[in-house]
Parts: sequence; C-alpha cells; structure tokens
Amino acid sequence: MPRYLLRRFVGMIVVIFLVLTIAFVIVRLAPGDPAALMLGPDATPQDVTELRERLGLDRPIFVQYVAFVAGAVQGNLGESLFFNAPVTAVLAARAEPTIFLALFSLLFALVIATPIGIYAAYRRGSTLDQTSITSAMLAASVPSFLTGLIFQRYLATELGWFPVSGYGGPDAGFFERMRHLVLPSIVLGIVNSALILRFTRASMLDILGEDYVRTARAKGMTERRVVLRHALKNAGIPIITVVGLTFALLVSGAVVTERVFNLPGLGNLVVNAVLRRDYPVIQGTLIVVAALYVLVNLATDLLYLAVDKRVKV
Amino acid sequence: MPRFSSSRALGLSALAIASALASPLAAQTTVDVAIVGEPDTFDPMMSTKDVVSIVTQHFVETLYTFDDSWSVVPLLAADMPQISEDGTVYTIPLREGVTFHDGSSMDSADVVASVKRWLDVATRGRSVADKVQSVEATGPHEVTITLSEAYSPLMSLLAFSNSAAAIYPEEILGDEIEQVVGTGPYKIEEHAPDQYLQLVRFDDYSQPVGGAEVREQSPDEIRFVPVPDPNTRVEGLLSGQFDFADGLPAESYDRIAESSTAEPLLLEPFGWPVFAINHKDGLLTDKTIRQAVQAALPIDDMLFAAFGDDKFFLVDGPMYPEGWAWRSEAGTENYNQNDTEKAASLLQEAGYDGTPLRILTSRQYEFHFKMAEVAKMALEAAGFNVDMMVVDWATLGQQRDDPAAWDIYITHSPFLPEPALTSLYFADSRLGWSNEEKDALMKEFTTETDPAKRQELFSEIQRVLFDDVGFIKIGGFNALQGKASDLEGVTASAWPSFWNAEIQQ
Repeated sequence: MPRYLLRRFVGMIVVIFLVLTIAFVIVRLAPGDPAALMLGPDATPQDVTELRERLGLDRPIFVQYVAFVAGAVQGNLGESLFFNAPVTAVLAARAEPTIFLALFSLLFALVIATPIGIYAAYRRGSTLDQTSITSAMLAASVPSFLTGLIFQRYLATELGWFPVSGYGGPDAGFFERMRHLVLPSIVLGIVNSALILRFTRASMLDILGEDYVRTARAKGMTERRVVLRHALKNAGIPIITVVGLTFALLVSGAVVTERVFNLPGLGNLVVNAVLRRDYPVIQGTLIVVAALYVLVNLATDLLYLAVDKRVKV
Repeated sequence: MPRFSSSRALGLSALAIASALASPLAAQTTVDVAIVGEPDTFDPMMSTKDVVSIVTQHFVETLYTFDDSWSVVPLLAADMPQISEDGTVYTIPLREGVTFHDGSSMDSADVVASVKRWLDVATRGRSVADKVQSVEATGPHEVTITLSEAYSPLMSLLAFSNSAAAIYPEEILGDEIEQVVGTGPYKIEEHAPDQYLQLVRFDDYSQPVGGAEVREQSPDEIRFVPVPDPNTRVEGLLSGQFDFADGLPAESYDRIAESSTAEPLLLEPFGWPVFAINHKDGLLTDKTIRQAVQAALPIDDMLFAAFGDDKFFLVDGPMYPEGWAWRSEAGTENYNQNDTEKAASLLQEAGYDGTPLRILTSRQYEFHFKMAEVAKMALEAAGFNVDMMVVDWATLGQQRDDPAAWDIYITHSPFLPEPALTSLYFADSRLGWSNEEKDALMKEFTTETDPAKRQELFSEIQRVLFDDVGFIKIGGFNALQGKASDLEGVTASAWPSFWNAEIQQ
C-alpha cells in the first residue's frame, strides 16, 4: 500500500506540473491585455504600457514562466493582477461556496437518484422505470442555466422561497450563507441525479442478472436482503466512480450555476479571471482543479478497496 | 439566579415598545445596489470605467463637480477659481474643516500632492499635464495652478468623476494607493471581492457649499453588489433583494414596469455608439473611402437591430442631444445617408481594390455586434469586402492599440459635459484623426474661455467631423436602470448616487 500511494503521489506531481505548464502557455496565447482592461476604455496606449511594466507583464515569457514555477514549488501561486492579493488567498476565499454547493448538490442527487435507480432496475419495464428513464433524459438534456433561470424566476422572485442570488451580505452567518445555496444545489443536483440514476439502474440491472443473485434468491433470502446486501454492494463500484468524478467536476467549479446565481465560488472566479485576463488566478485555479481531480481519483480507488476486497493494489 | 417578576417583565416590554415607537427613524437603512461588475480599483484616478466612478464618488471627492445642468460647481473647493485674464492662472480656494476618513484635515498640501499625482498617473490628468507649469500651495487653504497656455476644459477635467482628480491625504500617495482614504459622505467598511462593498455613513462629513447637491447621507449603509449577469440583476430587483440595479437589458422593461415591487428608470439619453476609425494605418486613411463608409451606413436599421424598441434609441446626428448647449446641426446632412449608390461611386472614385475593411467588434455589448452585422451587409452591398473580427472585449482592448490590426472598432460613450473630455477628437488619440482645419479649431476651442464662442467653435468642429469622417456617431441610445418602488431620492444617471436615497416605509 505505501508503494502504491507513493506511485500515485509521483504521478500526481507529474500531472500537476504538466497542467501548470499548459495553463501558463495557453493563457498567454489568448489575445487580450489585462492592463488595458483594468484602465478602462479611455486609457491611452502609454497608460497601458506603463501598467504592463508595473505588473511585470513586459518581461520575457520564459522569465515569467521560471518565476511562476519557482513560486509554485514553494506553494506561492503568484499575485492576482486584479485583486492585488495572493492567488492562494483569493482561491481560499472562494472555496467555501463551491465545496458546499458540490456537497449539497451531490447529496441531493444521491438521495433522489440512488433509490429510484435501484427500484427502477428491480422493477424493470414498469411504469416507474419508464418514468424514471424519461425524467433522467429530460434532466440531462435541459441545460442547467435554463433550469436555473426558471427556478430563479418562479421559486425565488415570484414565490420568494429562496434568495435570488449571492451569498449573503456582510452580516450573513453560516446558515444564512447555506440558505443561499439551496436553490443552486437543487438545480445542479437535478442535472447530476440524471447521470447517477442511469448509472445506478444500469449497474443494478447487470448485477441482478448474475448467478449469485439467483442463488441468493434460491436460498430463500428476502428480496430486500438480495437487493440491498448482495446486488447493491456489487453494483457500488461503477456508482462510486461516477459519484467521485461528479464531485470533482462540481468542485472544479459549477461555472454556469455559480454565474446564474452570482455565487462567489471558484467557477465564477475562473470565468471572471478569463474575462479580466487575470493570468495568475487562471493558472492557480487550473492547478488546484488538477490536484483535486487526481486526489478524488485516488480517493475513489481507495474506496474500491474498501468496497471490493478482490481489488488488489 | 435572580427571578424575573411578571410586573418587571411587563414594565421592560412596555419600555421597549415605547422606545421603538418613539424613534421610528432610528431603524437602520441599507440601500443595496446591483452593479455590473467588480470595480477594478477604488482609486478613481486609475480607471475610466463608469462602474468605478459610480462606486468611488461616495467616498472620494474632487475639487469641483457638476450640478444637474452639467455646470461646474465647487465640491472640496470653497468657491469657483479666480482665473487670470489670460486664462493661465487658476487660484482655487479650499473649504476649511474638511476631514478625511482617517481623521486628518484636508489642506493645500494634500490638494497639491493629489493634483500632481493626477497629472502624473491618470489618463485625463495626463491629457492636460503638458500644459501645466506648476501646482502650488499659495496658502493653507488655497492652491494655484499655472498653465503654459489657456486651457478651458481644465475645470471639467477637475470636476469629472472618471479618471478623477481625486483628493487624498498627502501621506498615502504613491504610484498605487494601498487603502483609499477620501473625504466623501460614506467610507469603506468592508469589501468582499466579487460579493459586496459595504459603505457606512461618515459622521464627520462636511457638506459642500456653492451649488453642489447636498449629500444628505440618508442611508446608514450603501452596499454595492457586483452582479455580472444582467438577468440576475433583473430578478434581484424584482424580488426585492436589490433597491437599485444598473445596466438592465432593454427586454426587461415591460416586466419591471408591470411589477408592483420595482420601477424602470429610463436614462435618456445615455450615450452614443460610435464607429471609431483608424486614421493611422490601412484602408480608411483615404478620405474618399471613409466618406463611402459614411454614405453606406443605414443608421435606422442598425439602431433598430441593436436596440429593438424605439424607447431605447434615437436616430440623431448631432454630437449632443436636444437641450444641451453643444447641440448643433452643422454637417448633419451627411448623417444617415443610407445611399448605396453614392457609396459605390465614392469607392470607384477612390480606386478601391477590394482590400478587406476590418471591423473589430465584441459581443460583450450585444448592440455593438448587432450594429456591425447590419453595417456589414450595407457595406458589402456598396462594394466593400468586409472582414468582421468578432473578439472578446479583452482582445478588442488590446488589438485597438495596434493600428495595423483594424480599420473600424466599435465602442460607445456617455454624453460627456465637455466635448474636450472625448479623446476621439484629438490627433494623439488611438484613432490618430489629424486634420489641419480640425486641429486648428480644437486648439482654439480648448484655449477659448467665452462659452458662446466655444459653442460656435464646437459647431465648426462638428462640421469638419462629418466632412472628414473623423469617426461616425451612429445615434443616441438610452440606458435602463431599475429601482425598488419604495426607494426615493435616486434618479437615473450614468453615475447614479445614493447619498440621498430613502426607503419609504
């Protein structure tokens, strides 16, 4: 196990280094000048040039790259050009809404999709099965921004059940901030529940057709025990994979949902950073996201070990 | 533990109710304002963006400001300046008893240091810096600005909140200001980037004298919330989350008008979309081809495509709308010609060889793109080969500084109180529009101090603008803002202020 973890750790470093390099190159290949954006429409070319010098953007690309890598190795992702603050601090300030949004929406999706997926597989071809498949297709097909706009208009503006947007004001406590996440979590949860439902159903269908399930039934076990103890446990691995990847995707920034609900999370941050050409923030976010993906993959693999004793490292 | 007797509890409750009834005005009022995005800076010297002006005018002030009729009036100055007969020496008296948010008092040393920094770092300050010989303290509360030649737009520049000649304590000044300290009616309490900027009333505020709007400091707090998505601003306004929302989409007008919680505020006129023309390099350095572009443009169609509803646009050629002192009809016979045949004939006369006409535009402002689409069709019908370069705003901001990269770029501007605040007229702008007659007129315009003569001169400049096609004003457009039905004391403006905002109970 320690050798396995070490191997994975080295792999993670390589992936992050590659992402770091690609991110650095790509953001600079894109046209657009952060200095011109910061100064506004009436700034003269001379103003822009001077601000570029002050921000260090006039230095050769290679010099900037070496400085960036040297800083990143020491955990310093640079300074945001826009916020004039360390990128790590900017990212840390945006982590809370994104992580809780990911957790709540995943929880919502799991609570809705897993039991329905299991039951739909168990009652294959039934009305509930057909309805769940159709609903899942619909949920997966409707883009989250549309669901977001509809929910925002009717549930927040018209009915006043939820806040329309934002993450609370200066005096908002933890629960008030979480209240602002309810509607976006439902919107995001609906999209993800479709994926989890279909995976759960498909996985359960495979397992329910296995010989050992037939044997368990022949031994006189109750249907509840057959489905929940024998079938679900073995159907778990693909479901865990999907849940893990979905979580990583959500934490890396539910860009559209955060945008529609104006949540100050990582997704919104990265969109704004691209529009502002805030290179260090774009790079920093990509590195954090890459690290997160690798970590979630590792956690998923370790969960396999716990769920299925046949898996060896 | 002491026991609470029922009579004591009753007494306390009665006292609490009585205090609440006796002081209904003591309730905290907070005005929540949805703005179009996070301000790039809280130092208004450093940006020409409207969102920066909207926010910073509440905590940073200038020597002068504009009143309702766009006349310059004192703000931190005690009076209008004494101007020498030749128009080169401005002696500005300062108000006494003005306190900065850090508790220090404003004096002439602060003003001299701030104005010098403005001349050094601000876009608008730099535009006048070469004409300023000295800025000196000529008394504890008096400052004298000496120019090398008369420059009549100086007062407007000192009054403008955009790339503003903001006054700071001398001690905090540097290339960059770490923590902005102003004299405004509100001060910064807390800033959570991309979430909110919380301003609270500044108790030691000293009111302006001599014509500037009184800052009542009605709300206890003003919160500016950056909301980049226009639809989210609309929903936030209608749900009551925001008391005011800036930059709303035209299509939301009817919904807001029908709502019981909010009202639309139509800012008419707001500004003018413009086709900025490259005079430094490329196809449009040829005047005849510029005139062909001007002749081909179907202005009505372009504005209708861009704004969709005539509540939001005006087909109007003069550079200033009705009611402004700068309004003139000179040269407007060349506006909105929509004459394909004339354009084709001008192209033939110029010997146009099919070189692509590069129009640089962005979808950041959808109306820019829609105008460009209609213009493209009309220009192609006249014989132009058009290359539409649709990029994001950041790219446009970079590419327009490279004269080899474009022929026309599309932008817009609010109507500014003084024509000289619009950089496009000057030969040293990125357009590089240099014309012997226009340059001589601009020189005379910026040195003339008599308002009537300045109006005549501007009329002449406008005539040359249309004839030489320096740039092309497409028309006028209105902006939509919205306020909660119970919000009073706020009017539609390109730079709305909230110091007099009251929420009616």
